[in-house]
Amino acid sequence: MSAAAQTTPAANDAMISIRDLRVSYGSREILHGISFDIRRDETMVILGGSGSGKSTLLRTLVGLEKASSGEIWIRGKNMASATAADKEELRKRLGMSFQGGALFGSMTVGENVALPLREHTQLDDDTIRIMVRLKLDQVGLSGFENYKPSQLSGGMKKRAAVARAIAMDPEILFFDEPSAGLDPVIAAGIDNLIVKLKRAFRMTIVVVTHEMASAFIIADRMVLVDKGHIVALGTPQELQTSTHPRVRQFMDRIAEPEVHKEMDYLQMLTDGNED
Amino acid sequence: MQISTRQSGTSTIVDVVGDIDLYNSPEIRKVLLENIRDKRVPRIIINLKEVRYIDSSGVASLVEGLKVSRNMSSRFILFGLSPAAREVLELSRLIKVFEVYENEDQALAAT
Amino acid sequence: MATLDAIGRGTIDTFAYVGGLARLAGRAAYYVFVAPFKGRPLRIERAFHQGMAVGVEALPIVSLITFFVGLILALNGAYELRKFGALQFVASAVAISMTRELGPLMTAIVVIGRSGSAFAAEIGTMKVTEEIDALETMALHPIQFLVTPKFLAMLFMMPCLTIWADFMGICGGLIFGITSADFTVAGYFQATLDALYKRDIFTGLIKSVMFGITITAVGCYEGFSTGAGAEEVGRSTTSAVVMSIFLVIIVDVIFTALFYFTGA
Repeated sequence: MSAAAQTTPAANDAMISIRDLRVSYGSREILHGISFDIRRDETMVILGGSGSGKSTLLRTLVGLEKASSGEIWIRGKNMASATAADKEELRKRLGMSFQGGALFGSMTVGENVALPLREHTQLDDDTIRIMVRLKLDQVGLSGFENYKPSQLSGGMKKRAAVARAIAMDPEILFFDEPSAGLDPVIAAGIDNLIVKLKRAFRMTIVVVTHEMASAFIIADRMVLVDKGHIVALGTPQELQTSTHPRVRQFMDRIAEPEVHKEMDYLQMLTDGNED
Repeated sequence: MQISTRQSGTSTIVDVVGDIDLYNSPEIRKVLLENIRDKRVPRIIINLKEVRYIDSSGVASLVEGLKVSRNMSSRFILFGLSPAAREVLELSRLIKVFEVYENEDQALAAT
Repeated sequence: MATLDAIGRGTIDTFAYVGGLARLAGRAAYYVFVAPFKGRPLRIERAFHQGMAVGVEALPIVSLITFFVGLILALNGAYELRKFGALQFVASAVAISMTRELGPLMTAIVVIGRSGSAFAAEIGTMKVTEEIDALETMALHPIQFLVTPKFLAMLFMMPCLTIWADFMGICGGLIFGITSADFTVAGYFQATLDALYKRDIFTGLIKSVMFGITITAVGCYEGFSTGAGAEEVGRSTTSAVVMSIFLVIIVDVIFTALFYFTGA
């Protein structure tokens, strides 16, 4: 990996390059050396079950977790050697939509969307107000500017969170479980929103999800993460037709086989009992 | 990004060169409002021929200019939109709200 | 061995905790004193909102409590002073105890209950709902955004509240003075002024500033160390209150001893 440290190791259409990425919580390693590229203007879906490490991967990409080793290159910059100012500049070009929305409860929806603009730009309040309304219109929340997040339904909160994430016209938009906790109809609405945003703004979009149905609607390419490793990477069609057993299991929604030895099971149930 | 203004008959033409983004759109806003509100020009034409990309703060600034010119009952005209800029306006459903022409001659000739 | 081990570990933990508080306070101070000169303007309006919540809204309860504390001081003092026929010293006893000790301390206790716990709950909830993460991804620094305004508010409001608390305590003493110790209102205030030196008030105010720093640091620190889940917010709120009271008393001991031995 030493040679790769000099220049971007990937093809130049890569927006994000991940090389041998390892992340640990304490002594427990969650990601065991992950490498792949996310291309400019594509929608990459990171698929995986609970505990697969997919959320950790996303949190590491946006800089909320530290890699224990390996490299992340974003827009041709190595995050490990980037200065604080570089990282801050980069963060202004990223948008992130959190699982629960993470809207600031003490502010209205409009103030939430306006916050990054107020803090990072010299734009006039009038300009910001127009921008906020444009963004809310784009996510289908026109007229909800003065609502508090607590007055919104789950789906609307997610939309508001997306409006805030796109406030600064980011180049890369990250979604953490966009359809988690939503009913299928509302979830489909969020999927459509993602597709529309991508078409409209030519953003690079990275989505972490465990929902197969939604992944197939929004993905240009997808990567399946399991137990901290990449199992498969490819277009939805390629994954659909893959013969890899773990991929098949995930695609066909087969439950994890339960392997119990009878005596072990008995032992487990009665462990600690007096004879 | 650079902005300059010139006069052509009763029309004031604002030439914008370069991309319009979060950090320079306050400048455009200032020029637009100065001309429309303070100098009360009857007809302002924005030349976007040399603008490849315009972000939502740029769009918002144009919207603001349009609104103020409506209030002052002056004309607010855009011309020379790049495909990307046109797309941005279409997606925000604003292309029909603005008066848009292909080139300077059409913009000047518009009645 | 196990005992030594536990003592050692406990000592290390204590130092680590205090170190954490100091680091937090240091970072917050950076955003007040250094960052504005590096193009990160200080947002006074947020500090102003905090100041309203911390200071102005605490006035009624601070007034009530310190008024009664002043009255209690007078009653207890009189119980002893009467034996020596020195009832007229009740005014100075109340004045000195309030300004040097009980004004700042009672204010701190009320502020811990109202604001220290609220800081921990606010930041803890934001941690649980990923709002802190959201701030970071938006390139907004949680300490600058959340902690600095709280420090500013506390540094300004604690001395103000304390002065008011001193005054209300003296008023509490006054009630006893005029009903049971033959003072006139003017006479009581004159006796109070005669008894007080500037340094009595200043030492109290210095304490109140130190208490303010302690309460803010503990409240915010506990908030940031909230784990996942709503019940964790309750836990960090509780420990913010307990730790703040404990540390305020420790700070009080240190500064009282310092003032005593330096003759202030």
